[in-house]
Amino acid sequence: MLRFSKHETTFNEITKNMNISIPDRSEYLKTLAQSGQKIMGVLPALYPRELLWAFDIHATEIWDPPGEILHANAHLQTTICPIVKKSLEFILKEPDIINAGYLFPHTCDSLQNLGTQVKDLIGVSLPVYTFYNPKGSFNKMTTKYYRDILQNYQLTLETIYGPLNPEKLLAACVLSHKIDSYLLAIQQARMTDHLAMNNLDYFKLMRAQEYLLPSDYLSLLEQVDILDQPSESPRARLMVSGILPPTSEILRFLDELGVGIVADDLLAGSRRIPKFPMDTPVSPLDYLTDRFFVLPPCSTRGGDLDERLHHLSKLMDASQAQGMLFDMIKFCEPELFDHRLLVKTLREKNIPVLTLETELDSHISGQDKTRIEAFTEILFEMASA
Amino acid sequence: MSIRAELKYKIMKDYGAPALMVLQDFKRRKPRPIPEAFGPPLESNKRLKEILSRHYFLSRYTPGVKKVAWVTSGAPVELLRAFDFYTIYPENHSALVGAKKQGADYCGIAEGSGFSQDLCSYARIDLGHMLSGKTPAGKLPKPDLLFCSNNICQTVLYWYKAIAHELNIPLIHFDAPFVTTEQTEADINYMAQQLQDMIPILERVSGRIFYLNIFEDILKRSMETSKTWGAILDAMKAQPAPMTIFDAFGHLAPIVSLRGLPVAQDYYHFLMDEIDTRVTQGIGAISDERYRLIWDNIAIWYKVRFLATFFAERKMNFVTATYTNAWAETTGYLDVKNPWTSMAKTYGQIILNNNLKHRLDLMKKMIKTYSVDGMVMHSTRSCKPYSVGQFDLRKTITADLDLPAVILDADIADERVWSEQQIHTRLEAFCETLEGSKHG
Repeated sequence: MLRFSKHETTFNEITKNMNISIPDRSEYLKTLAQSGQKIMGVLPALYPRELLWAFDIHATEIWDPPGEILHANAHLQTTICPIVKKSLEFILKEPDIINAGYLFPHTCDSLQNLGTQVKDLIGVSLPVYTFYNPKGSFNKMTTKYYRDILQNYQLTLETIYGPLNPEKLLAACVLSHKIDSYLLAIQQARMTDHLAMNNLDYFKLMRAQEYLLPSDYLSLLEQVDILDQPSESPRARLMVSGILPPTSEILRFLDELGVGIVADDLLAGSRRIPKFPMDTPVSPLDYLTDRFFVLPPCSTRGGDLDERLHHLSKLMDASQAQGMLFDMIKFCEPELFDHRLLVKTLREKNIPVLTLETELDSHISGQDKTRIEAFTEILFEMASA
Repeated sequence: MSIRAELKYKIMKDYGAPALMVLQDFKRRKPRPIPEAFGPPLESNKRLKEILSRHYFLSRYTPGVKKVAWVTSGAPVELLRAFDFYTIYPENHSALVGAKKQGADYCGIAEGSGFSQDLCSYARIDLGHMLSGKTPAGKLPKPDLLFCSNNICQTVLYWYKAIAHELNIPLIHFDAPFVTTEQTEADINYMAQQLQDMIPILERVSGRIFYLNIFEDILKRSMETSKTWGAILDAMKAQPAPMTIFDAFGHLAPIVSLRGLPVAQDYYHFLMDEIDTRVTQGIGAISDERYRLIWDNIAIWYKVRFLATFFAERKMNFVTATYTNAWAETTGYLDVKNPWTSMAKTYGQIILNNNLKHRLDLMKKMIKTYSVDGMVMHSTRSCKPYSVGQFDLRKTITADLDLPAVILDADIADERVWSEQQIHTRLEAFCETLEGSKHG
């Protein structure tokens, strides 16, 4: 059974300034698997986690597992994005912590094909599921279709795990709603300096939802101290856009420089949290449907570019961000197509922009360091002007 | 609609285009010598060139006469035909640029304006064209409408979104859910409903009313044309095959970009007749066909002639391809009595929108029915849906069918990616293996 109480494990990473303990991903999942918890490995990015929770399945997300890419190179070309490659490398190891199968949400062409490649050609011992996320502009018809997809996915899970308990699904939706509410409040606090947390710790907290049990994650969020009065503003205020937060090294470097990431447009960050607070769930499938359609605009859903520009502009205004850092994953087509227009528009508004390209190595190159330094100098000048 | 523009269009259609054909004929008086390794060239080539030249030539006179739509190759264009849109296929245009070895030039324009070099080269060429107005076709009209479907890739949606924003024109997107096992009723209903919901938008943009009977006629024509194209491909089962797949890459253009129009239907009847004659008379596309090959993925447009010659000189002929088959494979689902759901089935299940098990089974079937001896896979950095999975497809097919295979790492239209030496080495090694396997 999926536990809704706080999970006990070794908390070996401490965000000192907050006194919050965030468990190490690998240790946590190992302990969880050993306890008999059903765990499904979920690839990026959007999926109805609440349905899995209702079947007592813990969804752990696979974005950028550590380690060298070795075996995946025999299955994928060199021009495939590192998220896809790292995910496959992880899957090929058939890790014990994943015991209920893999879920491939439909995010991009590469992940779409990876799902069928793993299922139909490579073959793994665990079941492989897929979940289609509609693309393009949305209307009533898309809403109806998304609801149908949810129902079909529920039926698929029922064939394996037995009938769904509607009360459990409602409880899962309520839990999800609480998490969203906390995350929205924390984001808001971050934008207005009501959160005394450095970049590194902030994104550790955000990313902990990728692997913690929802109850544990909620407990963690409950401990976050939102200040009554704004704390000291960082020397410069930055917004970040892309798929994943910058690597730990870059975040640490920005912390050293006194640059605060006050808002984000990340697929692994704010793009998976509703744009505004939703009503408490009453009818689970309606809630899940509504939730999908109130997520912020995202390149991977093929949304309207004007809507995305408007959303970014609102975030920049609300957070008073002075510049934008695009942390682009190599070969990520959805992001790369939108990137040109976003950069152009921001530059037209005289907003400084820096684009970094990452292959998800933990190492930060000397060249990138210099570029970040030069970029932050501009932000400092703007702040002091 | 302007009377002057319409008159100009009519004059160009009746007199200008034929005059252009005569001029092109005159320029072509000294045909390039055909290498000995090839059989007699297809007579249809001339007509194909005329049709395509005429289509691009007339397109520049359409403003004020017909609304112009830029369309993706997998989009259900029959619906647009019912509103008499003049359709331009950017993928086809990019292939043309690529074939003329000008891809890098156009890509450079897009890259210079901020688009990444890692994006699909069809898209970069098209964006380069949009930003500069450059085209080997002389001049292309600006679109009034964009029409795309992600049944071939998600890329087209991102790409068309960028154009729609740049030119401030409407974009109609046909969302085709990927088929992981089989299409569900929900998938089909969703797609069928989308098609019907497009009608008011198309009426508004085109200024024309939708008539179901006209649409049904177009569907019938499209269906019949695709079936003829399928029959032409089927004829390549003959030994020797009456044409090579490199010929088919060219003869594919009307089924992609003129589907649903009488000109395409007539053209394929003409080509079918010629192919039938060649089969009856035992005329092969290459003079001595000893090995039969399958091609996987889109063509390497800037190296078609090189590859055709390379293989023909080694008595190897490509007799089938997953790419050319794509416009014939799902035609059987079309049903004029149920236009919407049948289009959902036809367009939703094309090879690139279908799972890799489907592709594996299809390739195995093609290998068997076309008596294939070896496989060449083009791994293109531009097309993720076509390329991701190829390594495992090759592994499985090689193991299950004991078939020699090679993967060429290249690109569809950006010639900068071509590595002459590496490709040559791989091809030589493949040919050696193939010759050994057949004789051993």
